[in-house]
Amino acid sequence: MTEVRVPNDLWDDDSEGAISAWLYEDGDRVEGGAIIAEVMNEKVAFELHAPVSGVLAILSPAEEAVRKGQVVARIAG
Amino acid sequence: MTTTAPSRRLTIARAMSEALAQEMARDPGVLVLGEDIGKLGGVFGTTQGLLDQFGADRVRDTPISETAFIGAAVGLAASGMRPVAELMFVDFFGVCMDAIYNLAAKQSYFSGGKVRCPMVIMTSVGGGYGDAGQHSQCLYATFAHLPGLKVVIPSNARDAKGLMLAAIRDDNPVVFMFHKALQGMGWLGTVQRSITDVPEGDYTTPIGEAAVVRAGTDVTLVGLGLTVHLALDAAASLAKQGVSAEVIDLRTISPLDRATIRASAAKTGRLVVVDDDYLSFGVAAEVIASICEHGGATLKCPPMRIAHPDIPVPFTPVMEHFVLPNAEKIVAAVQAMFEPAA
Amino acid sequence: MKGSTAMTTLEAGVASTATNRSQRLWMYATMVKSRHFEALVKVAYLEGKQPMFNMAKGPIPGEMHLSDGQEPCAVGVCAHLGPRDAVTATHRPHHIAIAKGVDLNAMAAEIFGKQAGLSGGRGGHMHLFDPAVNFACSGIIAQGLGPAVGSALAATLRGSSDIAVAFMGEGAANQGAFHEALNLAAVWRAPVVFVIEDNAYGISVAKRDCTAVESNATRAAGYGMPGVHVAANDPDAVFAAAGEAVSRARAGRGPSLIEIETTRLEGHFMGDAEGYRPPGEVDALKALDPIPAYRARLLSEGFEAEALDRAAQAAVAEVEAAFAFARSAAYPAPEEAFEHVFAGDR
Repeated sequence: MTEVRVPNDLWDDDSEGAISAWLYEDGDRVEGGAIIAEVMNEKVAFELHAPVSGVLAILSPAEEAVRKGQVVARIAG
Repeated sequence: MTTTAPSRRLTIARAMSEALAQEMARDPGVLVLGEDIGKLGGVFGTTQGLLDQFGADRVRDTPISETAFIGAAVGLAASGMRPVAELMFVDFFGVCMDAIYNLAAKQSYFSGGKVRCPMVIMTSVGGGYGDAGQHSQCLYATFAHLPGLKVVIPSNARDAKGLMLAAIRDDNPVVFMFHKALQGMGWLGTVQRSITDVPEGDYTTPIGEAAVVRAGTDVTLVGLGLTVHLALDAAASLAKQGVSAEVIDLRTISPLDRATIRASAAKTGRLVVVDDDYLSFGVAAEVIASICEHGGATLKCPPMRIAHPDIPVPFTPVMEHFVLPNAEKIVAAVQAMFEPAA
Repeated sequence: MKGSTAMTTLEAGVASTATNRSQRLWMYATMVKSRHFEALVKVAYLEGKQPMFNMAKGPIPGEMHLSDGQEPCAVGVCAHLGPRDAVTATHRPHHIAIAKGVDLNAMAAEIFGKQAGLSGGRGGHMHLFDPAVNFACSGIIAQGLGPAVGSALAATLRGSSDIAVAFMGEGAANQGAFHEALNLAAVWRAPVVFVIEDNAYGISVAKRDCTAVESNATRAAGYGMPGVHVAANDPDAVFAAAGEAVSRARAGRGPSLIEIETTRLEGHFMGDAEGYRPPGEVDALKALDPIPAYRARLLSEGFEAEALDRAAQAAVAEVEAAFAFARSAAYPAPEEAFEHVFAGDR
């Protein structure tokens, strides 16, 4: 089981962001390296990539606040 | 289609950027110009990564000078290049329409086919988020009406990449409209269904071909861009009421795929066209005319248009959401078709 | 006969002694009023748009273009204008509308999309029309210039000394309508003043990367009119330059172009929070804020702090009342969307 975190260097400060869109649904199989979500901070969109291949389990639904370093999903490889 | 390639989903914005990047790598004659398409990657995310990959000669931020740079695109095209120009909002066409409809659209005709205009104008359309009368229009019919232009609008990321590649390779001027609500930019909301698998390799979506995105037997719903999603939402509701709706995604506005529309209307006998452009003199009317001219006897009841009324797009949400097409209006229209005559 | 092609430049932030005390106090208070208006707009605009910025959400949906830092341009020009002088403005209109005397309650209500708004909620923040003070704005770059020329011509034809002023950003000087409107105004000797608020950026593109000349004031010579460059974001300097241009127009000597180097404190054109700024940049911008700078100058020139405070407090109170009015005002009925498409519709 691998954690998917919002990278600590994704944006400059400690403000909140939110996942604007999950590109896959809970239970979908994803490939390592694929873009799996769009994350927004201050109206700038960032890509969130799957660290490994496996089955996606979403922890943070879209539009909820997230912080850098937060675990937003897990992938069961 | 079965494939061993991994599933890979993109938003429409990223699909457009990828199409441009791949075609610019393949064909050195392709260049992109427009406002904020360089460093910013496009206000609507259409040119992400291109400046870094291809440099400022081929990815050009322009002044606010639409007449000049779209006119320049016509000249670039006549000189053998394949320019892609972004008109940030379709509402801005007023300041540059001559270059589009009098020049780009007529290069081939005026020259007896000797001069071509292989250019793409990509432009954002649509409202529903409070941007008011000068930043929320669709204007599909305004462009489709004019001879010499091809006009396309994808409803999903897969078609967005395929249509963009087809548009760039087309030797004619193509107006590539993208709906702001479907781009996948979080600040404009997200329509999840527009995010789809997009093949990594090279492929095109044919211009001039509509797609039946949901097969059905009782009524044909025709949509374009965002209204395809409204129609699909309506179809899901109708299915629960035992009404089977067939949904057509036009994908190309002009040239209109009349054959697909006629075949579907012949099958179901009922037609609703959903168009978020102004009602009168529009795409919906053209779809209906295509059916009526071709016998007309195939319809069991009068066709219906669900469209934005003939008023400027109002700012305040109470008004804007009242006048825009939505799934509830489509369901109500179809239900009325099945009610016994009074 | 075309107007003089002589070019004048006013390159310093020199306080004009021609400005009288009440005008300067008005300019200070109006800048405070405008800034407080933008502060309350920003609060309302961000409601419902956090943590994820979705433009459609909250009591003020859509785009928002705030004018913080550009107040000197509005007050320095509008100090010379009366209600019959026409003003056209852009997608960043609030400071100009306020300086022109637009009904503050109705303006706030319009931004909130209420029935009591200037157009009953149909226009929103970029489309504010107040015929009582001859103010109009719209969102397509440079398209307010032609109408200003027309209003100026109408003033001449009715034998008045009324004038028109067209405000624009520096990006508009690269748009075709700019060049046509300046030429036409000169050919008609129309009493119009063209005012460029140069805040150096058009969305993401710097002026130097998209403009063939360093100062747009030099373009005036190409259209047979004086071009003035105001290098300081300073109400007194703007007042002086505008005074000359307005007098020229009222005296029947034709149009002028004024270019003001101003500062846009909010940075991003959508009005979101500034968390993306590198450290130190916000502090650097605050040092350029024209309002505390003007207050300091007025104090140093003998204005009393109590008088300035009273004027500022009255301005703030007026804005607070306008927002209270706007928030509690009713929304229109949805069917009202169909009214006023044509004159005589209702």
